[in-house]
Amino acid sequence: MPELRRDPVVGRWVIIDSEHSQGPADFPKDNNTPTHQAICPFCPGREHQTPPEVDAVRPLKSLANTAGWLVRTVPNKFPVLIAEGSLQKEGIGIYDQMTGIGAHEVLIEGPDHEKSLTEFTKDEMQAVISQYRGRFRQLAQDRRFKYVVIFKNYGSSAGATVEHTHSQIIALPMVPKTVLEELKGAEHYHQYRGRCVFCDMIAQEYQDKERIVAENNSFLAFCPYAPRYAFETWIIPKGHSADFSSIDETAQANLAQILQDVLKRVKKVLNNASYNYYFHTAPIGYANTACYHWHIEIIPKLTRSVGFEWGTGLHIVPTMPQDAARFLREA
Amino acid sequence: MSQLRKDPIVSRWTIIATERARRPAAFVDPQSVITEQKHCPYCKDIASPGIYESHGVKVMNSTSPILDNSKPFERHGHGLYDVSHSFGSHEIVLETPEHIANMADLSKEQMVAVFKTYGLRMQEHRKNPFIEYIIAYKNYGVAAGSRNIGHARSQIMAVPVLPMRVKDKIDGAEKFFDYHERCLFCDMVSQELKNKERVIVENDHFVVIAPFASRFPFETWILPKNHHCDFAEGIKGHENSLAAIMKDILLRFKLGLNDPAYNYMIQTSPVKNPSAFKDNYHWHIEVMPRLTRVAGFERGTGFYICPIPPEMTAAFLREVDIHA
Repeated sequence: MPELRRDPVVGRWVIIDSEHSQGPADFPKDNNTPTHQAICPFCPGREHQTPPEVDAVRPLKSLANTAGWLVRTVPNKFPVLIAEGSLQKEGIGIYDQMTGIGAHEVLIEGPDHEKSLTEFTKDEMQAVISQYRGRFRQLAQDRRFKYVVIFKNYGSSAGATVEHTHSQIIALPMVPKTVLEELKGAEHYHQYRGRCVFCDMIAQEYQDKERIVAENNSFLAFCPYAPRYAFETWIIPKGHSADFSSIDETAQANLAQILQDVLKRVKKVLNNASYNYYFHTAPIGYANTACYHWHIEIIPKLTRSVGFEWGTGLHIVPTMPQDAARFLREA
Repeated sequence: MSQLRKDPIVSRWTIIATERARRPAAFVDPQSVITEQKHCPYCKDIASPGIYESHGVKVMNSTSPILDNSKPFERHGHGLYDVSHSFGSHEIVLETPEHIANMADLSKEQMVAVFKTYGLRMQEHRKNPFIEYIIAYKNYGVAAGSRNIGHARSQIMAVPVLPMRVKDKIDGAEKFFDYHERCLFCDMVSQELKNKERVIVENDHFVVIAPFASRFPFETWILPKNHHCDFAEGIKGHENSLAAIMKDILLRFKLGLNDPAYNYMIQTSPVKNPSAFKDNYHWHIEVMPRLTRVAGFERGTGFYICPIPPEMTAAFLREVDIHA
């Protein structure tokens, strides 16, 4: 019997279509775009084709904007927000607008054009996580910014336009809506019960077990009870922590391990499907740290959202989360 | 210079990225309709009995319904989670007996019959005491989530909860009304008609705009000029006007954007407690060509990046010659 489920954080209802619960083979195969290494601006030796780097991991201390890097972060050549200027707000009749101040960076995860995150060594993966944290901390110091989003689009149907492995970072002058909704829900829960809703969720996931995908000493990966998308998977720190950038070295190593582990499972089970992942963490300078709990959401791109979902925000998910978790766990 | 714009209804911010503004022709996503008429399941269905039938429009239950109203609605808890079975109705509206793919190619009279049918089905579903919201919507083309069958149809869902995006809109409209004692959408209509740069087309009863804080390139809204919170009641007497303006905008998409995939959804007030929404809500239709893909940033933040300013898309659509 199909079910309607409500996400306890933001109060979002979803329809779980258990009648037609689909396995991984029911989704069409994804055609990732072919590699054009010959002209890739992210490959070593073409550092001059990107804007000058803002940060890099260079184990052999090579010069900035030359080869020899392990991870390299550059401003996006086509930024959606511009870093220079002051923040100006304005009203036009009933409408509000402000200048598009922000930062938009590309984090090139490795020098090898052919290698994706799932093929990285432990050290390479850890360098990516360490660069995420470093960029986050740097951008958080800019007083104009209220929120930093780290995200990745893998595969063309998830919105990737360059195939060389990379993530993106956008710093925003306001807290985005989805995060605000989570904060509001989490604050409300905390006010009412005096506990963190995410911590309670972790406890219940351990009790129910059926939605757990993987775990290590610091993190749990599970398919949320009321997902928006088929095979949606979250990675969450087991201990309460509101701010991603506060994680220590051990947690960074564990995050590198579990992120790669989950991506390998997604790749195997879903036939190298396109995916998005993004970090949800507390806004810069957020005071109610007892309420919020940072996490990563991994969303394989398997279905197209239809008019109904756009119009209502009521998502139709064709796979039961415990089935998705089982497929991923057993991969 | 790029701008950040806030939708005054749900407080959703949008980036208007003028720096990377693309020309409209760069968004082309043509549809190839593949199903031949002899294989069309809907051409066969048109002969079988439906739930409702009038003027060549037929309503049927979905063959793979994701909602089911055979059992009463019941909620319960599972630890901190809330759950219920997926109660409700899911109907398919066949818009024409003919094998025509795009609603833009239906006659105005046929479209009138479709909109009247939406209204009548909404009136019917609201009799069910568990139903909280009814949405009529359309997916045209593969990129909009439709199968490539080539027979014009739309869908109606009646659900026992108030969906989140609908609630956002209603909350925003309520807040505005509490403060200004005016309807937000009525203010929007008058501001857009005065300002003109985002108006695509208008007639006696409706105006089509590219919204100020568009989420998607070529997003358009059909706004009734007369205040009414409810679609089924509000269109009475205005069906011809609505059909004319819908045909107009769909033809502009078809001819100007090379037959793109699109969605439309009718945003109307909730079923329960209608007097609470009478003054502050204003029904409308969102029409959205599906030209870009939603990527990680939009999914993660609800913060949409619209790659072309709505003033530019409105100007482009205004200039499409639909009588050529």
